[in-house]
Amino acid sequence: MTPGVHQVTGWGLVSLSAFIAIYYSIWVIILPFVDQDQPIHTFFLPRIYAIAGPLVAGVIALTLIGAFVLYVTVSPKKVKKS
Amino acid sequence: MAVSKLFQWLICLTSFLAVWLSYVLGLVQTKFSEEMNEIIIALPIYLLILFACVLLGMIGHRVATFNDCELASKELKEHIDAARQDLAKKGYKFASDWKS
Repeated sequence: MTPGVHQVTGWGLVSLSAFIAIYYSIWVIILPFVDQDQPIHTFFLPRIYAIAGPLVAGVIALTLIGAFVLYVTVSPKKVKKS
Repeated sequence: MAVSKLFQWLICLTSFLAVWLSYVLGLVQTKFSEEMNEIIIALPIYLLILFACVLLGMIGHRVATFNDCELASKELKEHIDAARQDLAKKGYKFASDWKS
């Protein structure tokens, strides 16, 4: 890596995680206390997706990981040539 | 107290889940408002997402502040040079100096 690229990557990751944390906090913790007719609600999907989205993503991820582990475990071992 | 990191996390997790489940399953009588109820229902997933964000931020911070120790590298090279000169003085022949 040329100098500076990993700084940009690192601080990019930090700001991405900070943005996700703040956005999700507002979505889940603050929005239930804001009235439905306030304009801030146009920036967020309906609240059910805040719970269903991560849940579905987690189920899919765990399924893929499980399928991969099963595949690696069941498939016959290759004989090493040496 | 010699409790391993795994058990510290497991104790935190189970005590949180005990309180949360007892609320969600209605084992305790509470008088929270409708908004508070919605937040409490989503709390485990919210904490999970927040945990993931903290870990991602830690990785990013470590990547950003990763230093490559140029001073130490220079010092080490000086030590190697000094050792080579010392060995050469004593008649040691280096493989890298061989000419066929």
